[in-house]
Amino acid sequence: MSRQLPLVLAINEAFSEEMTRNDKIFIIGEDVQSGVFGASRGLVQKFGKDRVMDTPLAETVIAGAAIGASMAGYHPVADFMFADFMWCAADEIFLKAAKWHFIHGGKVDLPVVLFANVGGGARLGPEHSQCPESIVMHTPGLKLVFPSCSADAKGLLKTALRDPNPVVYFYHKRMLGLMGEVPDGEYTIPFGKADIKKEGKDVTVVAIGMMVQYALSVAKELEGKISVEVVDPRTLEPLDIETIVNSVKKTGRVVIADEDTKRCGVTAEIGMQIMENAFDSLDAPIQRVAAANYPLAGGYMEQFVLPSANDIKAAIEAVAKK
Amino acid sequence: MKLGKKELLILYTNMLRARKADERIVKALQEGKVVAFYHSGQGSEAVGVGACSFLRNDDFLYPHHRGHGLAYILSKGVLMKEHMAEHFGRATGATGGISGFHGADPAHGVFGSGGTIGSQFPVSAGWGLAAKKNGRGQIALCAFGDGSSNRGTLHEAMNLSAVWKLPIVWLCENNLYAQWMPIKDAYPREDIADLAHGYNMPGVVVDGQDVVAVHEAVTAAVERARKGEGPSLIECKTYRYRPHSEGSADIAHTDPRPKEELEAWKKRDPIKLFQERLLSEGILTQADVDRIEKGTQAEVDEAEKFALESPRPDPSIISKLLYQVKEG
Repeated sequence: MSRQLPLVLAINEAFSEEMTRNDKIFIIGEDVQSGVFGASRGLVQKFGKDRVMDTPLAETVIAGAAIGASMAGYHPVADFMFADFMWCAADEIFLKAAKWHFIHGGKVDLPVVLFANVGGGARLGPEHSQCPESIVMHTPGLKLVFPSCSADAKGLLKTALRDPNPVVYFYHKRMLGLMGEVPDGEYTIPFGKADIKKEGKDVTVVAIGMMVQYALSVAKELEGKISVEVVDPRTLEPLDIETIVNSVKKTGRVVIADEDTKRCGVTAEIGMQIMENAFDSLDAPIQRVAAANYPLAGGYMEQFVLPSANDIKAAIEAVAKK
Repeated sequence: MKLGKKELLILYTNMLRARKADERIVKALQEGKVVAFYHSGQGSEAVGVGACSFLRNDDFLYPHHRGHGLAYILSKGVLMKEHMAEHFGRATGATGGISGFHGADPAHGVFGSGGTIGSQFPVSAGWGLAAKKNGRGQIALCAFGDGSSNRGTLHEAMNLSAVWKLPIVWLCENNLYAQWMPIKDAYPREDIADLAHGYNMPGVVVDGQDVVAVHEAVTAAVERARKGEGPSLIECKTYRYRPHSEGSADIAHTDPRPKEELEAWKKRDPIKLFQERLLSEGILTQADVDRIEKGTQAEVDEAEKFALESPRPDPSIISKLLYQVKEG
């Protein structure tokens, strides 16, 4: 059995279930008791103010407090509201969360979820709209989750809340209300296992987050002309390169779509790994669809920097012709 | 806690252990045995020793970076030989030789240390938060220097600790220099302890060369924290004898540090002052002094021997340490 749930309520359900299961989990951040995007809404009424903690406006110590408490036996969720705000706590995220298990010889564990809303399309300007997954994926020691639908959002967050390592969890602001099937009852989704969202035989589209939804709509549009396979890695670290490579070996043509900047982006990394693992299977050069190499513009200019469904369609048609 | 003879001897011995281990690491570095760099803590041992010698095992500690924490961690029970072996890059080191000098010993409340000065504040706030949540009367002690006090992280962490009444002792070693930057050119007031007023927490200034004075101030702050009354800020006025790091210039801005300044502080050497006091009060005899000196020397010799005889880590550890693999 399953139900239709908007993505943000699927996240909310995962928090509620895991906080019931493990009393070491707490959420810490700015206005998490009311829940700016709705992800933590209603939890303070259920679990109390000691487990859903409103902080002063202070991202550095939100991250530090979560990371410190994680070392001492808790499993905190640091909610940064917008992912852009995470960089106020760059030291805590990149030098502490990512490195401290490793550089302390495995003597300390850091089970912490770094939780943030990402993405453009809402015209919120350059410092509320980033999709910064490549910066996280680049950094050894951080796991990275970016769901594309309600069922994955819930199952992956439950896994994040059971992982003994730091996990960055991104969810897209334009997908908050996106309805999707969510299975009833208990389930989790393992990290490092890509999901083939639609099978096809002509072109593989590896898409991340919101781009999965774009790719699915384009695939539908092209039905009867080009058969598109949509592969969603779901976690970028660990990355299930095997499923991606197997799809590329089948189709021989690949488009990689991600909302982060093209230069040194996720698309570059996945593209290179395909080159290393499936070069002989490629019938056309890899096409990348990503944000242009500019800061994300605000106002009506945003759309000229962000990748679009049309860009994905054009890329699919281009690789299909070669 | 009233200090009896036993406790006074512990303070004296811990200062001597920190000094002699520091001197040995400096020498070893000059001999090419130390794999990274070294920031000596000679001259300021009374602060870490006075603060940590009587903390609980399960109290959290973020040590000061001088001596790479020696005065603090030895007083808290961390083994000297593991500290030494880490500096020699050996598998028996405090982190198995993977960090080179960042120690961790969770059994003694030391959960790590970082390289960015000022990053101790936010993480310590997290330990303080965990201590409060645990409800077992633990505290977190976070050491920092005059240099760190310039960081914005101090504000975020001290503010949160005060608003939430976290059981934290913020302990400042003001040794007058941040690398080559004199504090008078980096901070507009005389006392860093004054910052406490902005956070509505107690702020006291202590003679950092007087191990008993440090102990008393920290004890008062610890008792307050254990009772749930919140954090305190203690500033210890102290000095470092050696340059910022071994082999680097010993300067203030571009000029040499004033020799007279160093000589004046050496007259108030924390170990010398305390030894004189204990001798004059009849708590120590010259025979005790000689015995403690010999015992400490032997501990340092053994620690260095242990380090030198230990193997380098196997490179295979690198691929095993990125993640914890057990279920959380």
